[in-house]
Amino acid sequence: MLLGTADLESFARGAPRLDSFHQGSLTLPGVELLQATFELAGPGVESLFPPGLHPTLPVLAVFAFWRADDGPLGAFTLAQLRLSCRSGARPRQLLVSSFVDGEVAREALNGRFAFGARAARVELARFYDRAQARVSLDGRTLVAVHAGAPLPLATSDLQFFASVHPAHTPKGFRLVQIDAEYAITRAERGKPVLDAFDAAGFGAPRVRPAWPVAAIVALGEVSLPRVRYVVRPDVLAFEGTEVVS
Amino acid sequence: MRFGIFYELSVPRPFAPGVERTVYENALEQVRLADSLGFDTVWAVEHHFLEEYSHCSAPELFLTACAMQTSQIRVGHGAVVCVPAMNHPVRVAERAAVLDILSGGRLELGTARSSTWSELGGFEIDPDTTKQTWDEYIRALPRMWTEERLSWQGTCFSMPERAVLPKPVQKPHPPLWVTVTSPGTELDAAERGIGCLGVAAASYAEQERRTREYHRRIQSCTPVGAVNENVATLNFLYCHEDAATAKRTGMQMMGLFGLANAHLLFTREAYPTRAYGSLANLAPGPGRREGSPADPSGVPEGMAIGDPERIIRAIKEWESIGVDGVNFLLNAMETIPQEQVLASLRLFAREVMPAFAKVRGR
Repeated sequence: MLLGTADLESFARGAPRLDSFHQGSLTLPGVELLQATFELAGPGVESLFPPGLHPTLPVLAVFAFWRADDGPLGAFTLAQLRLSCRSGARPRQLLVSSFVDGEVAREALNGRFAFGARAARVELARFYDRAQARVSLDGRTLVAVHAGAPLPLATSDLQFFASVHPAHTPKGFRLVQIDAEYAITRAERGKPVLDAFDAAGFGAPRVRPAWPVAAIVALGEVSLPRVRYVVRPDVLAFEGTEVVS
Repeated sequence: MRFGIFYELSVPRPFAPGVERTVYENALEQVRLADSLGFDTVWAVEHHFLEEYSHCSAPELFLTACAMQTSQIRVGHGAVVCVPAMNHPVRVAERAAVLDILSGGRLELGTARSSTWSELGGFEIDPDTTKQTWDEYIRALPRMWTEERLSWQGTCFSMPERAVLPKPVQKPHPPLWVTVTSPGTELDAAERGIGCLGVAAASYAEQERRTREYHRRIQSCTPVGAVNENVATLNFLYCHEDAATAKRTGMQMMGLFGLANAHLLFTREAYPTRAYGSLANLAPGPGRREGSPADPSGVPEGMAIGDPERIIRAIKEWESIGVDGVNFLLNAMETIPQEQVLASLRLFAREVMPAFAKVRGR
């Protein structure tokens, strides 16, 4: 099986701090979601992952947007870029970069769940014929995606996967497993279009989304349970998975 | 009880020059031995783009080589992907008929629709449509084989009247199967009167439930052709006189295969669709290990890994719940040296096969 080959020092550089694992769970009601998935192109996808993870073939780049209009963190919109992989035999998505529009949310998501989100203008809008999202910083567009031709699906047709967030934790540099739970009440599938992507500006200079796969447009409750597992990034998950007691 | 061997043709990294050839040559040597030992069928899958897991993208060619090097063993094209972007139905019928002729009427034809995004996405196939195309194929294939000329107006393909040639040797046509991965596909098989080719792990209890329901439903089927009322399951085989050695080697093979299977990018991970429910992994999980005092082997329930006595017990259990055949994976990523694979086959034939009534041919 393919293994990640990223240099750990450079991988750890710039990773956020997670000072404590014991900061409780978080439930976000009424979250509007857009998740646009593309296949990556180009050689060397394994260099995007630490040695403890296996890239899927192909690797999927997932642009995930959450917009909460109220709730415990107030109004905010979050943008994430995640890459599909395996931790041992388990499907996971490696968080590469994220941005959030909303300071309260930024502090909470970073401090409790190691999102490492930077402040930016993040927009997500849903219409009947399309959903669209954009991240811009200092007037520059970092990413713009839209999902066209939405087709209703059963909520059970959607699948979501736990993400792993690189972070400096009390156990050292680890991949923090975030087992987000989704209670979806409305689900659609659309065709994803990547209208703009400044890979370097987004913090993912070697990520090259190339082939559209699918987009999810959904509404539901997103829960972030307390952190239960972290994974050492330097060894395989069978050896490197640690329980957070 | 029928015994088959089943090939994914997995290839370990690094993909050094010659490694694929070695995998194919080892498989052919195993097939020749299996033929001489009295195994009933050799099956080969069709997969595309699945690095390491399966380099078996042209199974009809591999099976032709099998047929040319053997005399008795049946050749199972299992399974051809019934999606136009991969295989036009006329080409499926033609290739199958040629293989049936060249093998002297030894073909079994499995049908499938592919389950990974790596494959479906690679051919730009809409996952929502694959059940429909599969259904159309299995109605068309028997008619292409049995009617002198045929025209077809369908959803996934249409054609003016033509003679699909050649016709197969077996009359009215080779037995049809469908691979069963998702729970419920056994009902699709029963309702169409075709065989149930299990390719995912199921417990004794789950397989018994599926088999009972299959046999009940097939009694009132609307057959697409000649009825093939058979249930086969997939298993791992590593047989050794010493139970501990068998367990160590067999479990390593099974674990590696299961890991490779878990690394596949299944369709719903990439593409939300109602057409692909949850798929079972071939390798059973740790929750199903046998733990009774009578069988403290630690090998998962029903797996043909162990000494001959244990394997006989496992297969007797499969037999008792109505399974007609068991197909075995013999290796994964070449983790077991070829000589040991051959020795396992010989021991199985010598010590296990005689415990079961032989059903030869069709």
